[in-house]
Amino acid sequence: MTLTIALAGNPNCGKTTLFNALTGARHHVGNWPGVTVERRSGTFEHEGSTMEVVDLPGTYSLSARSEDERVASQFLASPEVDLVLNVLDASNLERNLYLSTQLLELGKPVAFVLNMVDDAENRGVRIDVPALELLLGGPVLPTVGNREQGITELKALLAAMARGESNRCRRITVDYGHDIEGELTKLQAEIGRDEVLKAAMPPRWLALQLLENNAEAKRLVAESHASEAIRQQLAKSFAFLEPHLGADGATLVAERRYGFAHGLVKEVATAADDKRTPTSRLDAVLTNRVVGIPIFLGILALMYSLSFILGKIPQDWIAAGFKALSGFAEARLPAGELTSLLVDGVIPGVSAVIVFLPVIMILMGCIAFLEDTGYMARAAFIMDRLMHVMGLHGKSFIPLIMGSGCNVPAIQAARTIESRQDRLITMLVTPLVSCSARLQVYIVIAGTFFTPFKAALAIIAMHFLGLALAVLMGRMLRSALFSGPSSPFVMELPPYRLPVLKATLIHMWEKGSVFLTRAGTTIFAGATLIWFLSRYPGIANREWTLEYQQKRQAVMVLNLPPAESEEHLRSLQLAHESRIVNTSLAARLGQKVEPLLRPILDPDHKRAEAWKDVIALTAGFVAKEIVVSTMAVIHQASEEPKAGERLSPLQVALRDGSGLTPLTALAFMVFTLIYTPCLGTIAMIRREAGSWGWAAFTVGYGLILGWGLAWLTVVSGRALGFA
Amino acid sequence: MTQNLPIPLSLLQPGDQGEVVEVQAQGEVRQRLLEMGFIRGARLRVEKLAPLGDPMELVIKGYHLSLRRDESSCILVSRVAG
Repeated sequence: MTLTIALAGNPNCGKTTLFNALTGARHHVGNWPGVTVERRSGTFEHEGSTMEVVDLPGTYSLSARSEDERVASQFLASPEVDLVLNVLDASNLERNLYLSTQLLELGKPVAFVLNMVDDAENRGVRIDVPALELLLGGPVLPTVGNREQGITELKALLAAMARGESNRCRRITVDYGHDIEGELTKLQAEIGRDEVLKAAMPPRWLALQLLENNAEAKRLVAESHASEAIRQQLAKSFAFLEPHLGADGATLVAERRYGFAHGLVKEVATAADDKRTPTSRLDAVLTNRVVGIPIFLGILALMYSLSFILGKIPQDWIAAGFKALSGFAEARLPAGELTSLLVDGVIPGVSAVIVFLPVIMILMGCIAFLEDTGYMARAAFIMDRLMHVMGLHGKSFIPLIMGSGCNVPAIQAARTIESRQDRLITMLVTPLVSCSARLQVYIVIAGTFFTPFKAALAIIAMHFLGLALAVLMGRMLRSALFSGPSSPFVMELPPYRLPVLKATLIHMWEKGSVFLTRAGTTIFAGATLIWFLSRYPGIANREWTLEYQQKRQAVMVLNLPPAESEEHLRSLQLAHESRIVNTSLAARLGQKVEPLLRPILDPDHKRAEAWKDVIALTAGFVAKEIVVSTMAVIHQASEEPKAGERLSPLQVALRDGSGLTPLTALAFMVFTLIYTPCLGTIAMIRREAGSWGWAAFTVGYGLILGWGLAWLTVVSGRALGFA
Repeated sequence: MTQNLPIPLSLLQPGDQGEVVEVQAQGEVRQRLLEMGFIRGARLRVEKLAPLGDPMELVIKGYHLSLRRDESSCILVSRVAG
């Protein structure tokens, strides 16, 4: 039988490192049912018994206000959990013990890990472990998680406890004092009237939460048939305690818990010496009034060069590999529907997904590194004022930065924001931050219509516009949708720590695989859908295929020199494909939708082929990088520049044949920036916000805002005399 | 050691020390502050202000925490000589 161990602890206590050390590679990342909090679970074996370890989200308490806390407290109360392993940061024992006082109320065996004992010792804190065991009523094991010290002993201990061989667990709870304990007993008696409620969680634990005025606990009670009696007793308890002890229930309970923790720490640990810690010496520089911000910007720049210079290398290999593959398939297979599906649909679809992997993994690695060192909290500290003005949270800065790499992981990163409101606003404005996929569109368009210098300016302007819009929308959403007070900015600045390479690598791999499974499948499905829309019905037209093959035969029997023959064949292929695309379902759709976009893309109504832009933009719903490849298909011109030429055949075709002017090209860029997040982002918003409604809202406001600003670009550009 | 009338924490300067008298915030903020150690009598020291002037960094219960002025003005402290 497998026993389940729940790993609980504060954020930054080294819980995840310990989890990795315990389970090694044998772990699985998923989601908690119904919510968007990540669920990590893994197994380990010790002398023949297998144990499952579930890593709970790091929380300071179990009061179930944030999603993280709700997940943790619900799971801990469930019968699934056999054993609780509470990870304590030895260098910050008192606050860590606050959570322990709650865990001890759950009525399950609790073992403790005293992590980072080395940090504590460096600060002059020595902890008397046997005394701590006695006072906590459970075994305590000192470890240094990031050096994997004490892991074998921990496994042996857990195995022994699971087999019931350890009798070191005694039931210990905080003594809340005569008055509060008296009221707790009365409340428990009322709760005990309802068997269902009694079974849901220990009555004493529920009574405590009621005294704390916990909304979740009150909701649970409201469903009970004993709710009226419980409510009356609670009102009586408040009426007695508050005047008597001079504070409300929540304060009283918190005070007693900290009283317990404080007394315990005094008993078992020596006081930290007053010498300056490495962390405060580092912070004297890193959050310094003068150099703090420049250093932060420098780190940001470094992170980006790493992602995009280093990431570009494998990206190029992947792109080249897929190109070779599709060339090979095309040469070997007969022309027709299946070959087209493979060469124009499946292979580019897979390529469009995988090509993003290196950049995402490197970026996520950098972010994990900064997070694990403790610097991310400083980044939020430094930037919070600015973010607050925007109606956001200091922690929103991180997703917004990541957004310029890719919106999909950025929206995931918004998970670090505790308040649902702040998280939601951050998720809704992140798509306005111009991502690297959109950059590909700007590069092609700006490179075609502007000189290199002006093109660079235009591209930079797009990024600033995106940020400015994120600010404005953040403020608007805050005042329009969430008029309540913004959530508290109560953020720990954890001590700086050297990250463990293994943890960073695991994190990179997890983020990469999440991208592949969550966003990858949608991008792939979308690419296939677009292939279908842009190839049918023409691709199934036998006469056209026959005609094409006959013409090829006719060229081949001419026995021309190879280069000339190749040239002929290529132009035949282009003609054949463009015949298919220009009569496709996508073309018909483009012609229908085009009038709507005329004011921004074709203000003079002179462009016969404006509907082609619509096809490309429609494809951009799937993923922005597909905009370029779709243009290449539609205009039947390669995206790759020939040797020695600045512009690619696609760019030449756009310049000479599309009818776009520099001004409408700029409007096209503005529209591309805003009009809709890609399908991967939409899917991620749906997952993270928990409803299709918010995803639809993001698309809707994007379309309106995008159209409006592109229109403004055209109108104001013309007023200033540009064309 | 309490010397003065309670003042909002936001009025303390970097280097100042204080003792929590009362958390006046309500609801979620209140609960969060209590859990993070802002209980009556808790000692704290203001470490610094962020480069842009807000939030503040302080040390309470032996760890570092940052608070916006919005929250720190809801916490009454009495100044304590360092």
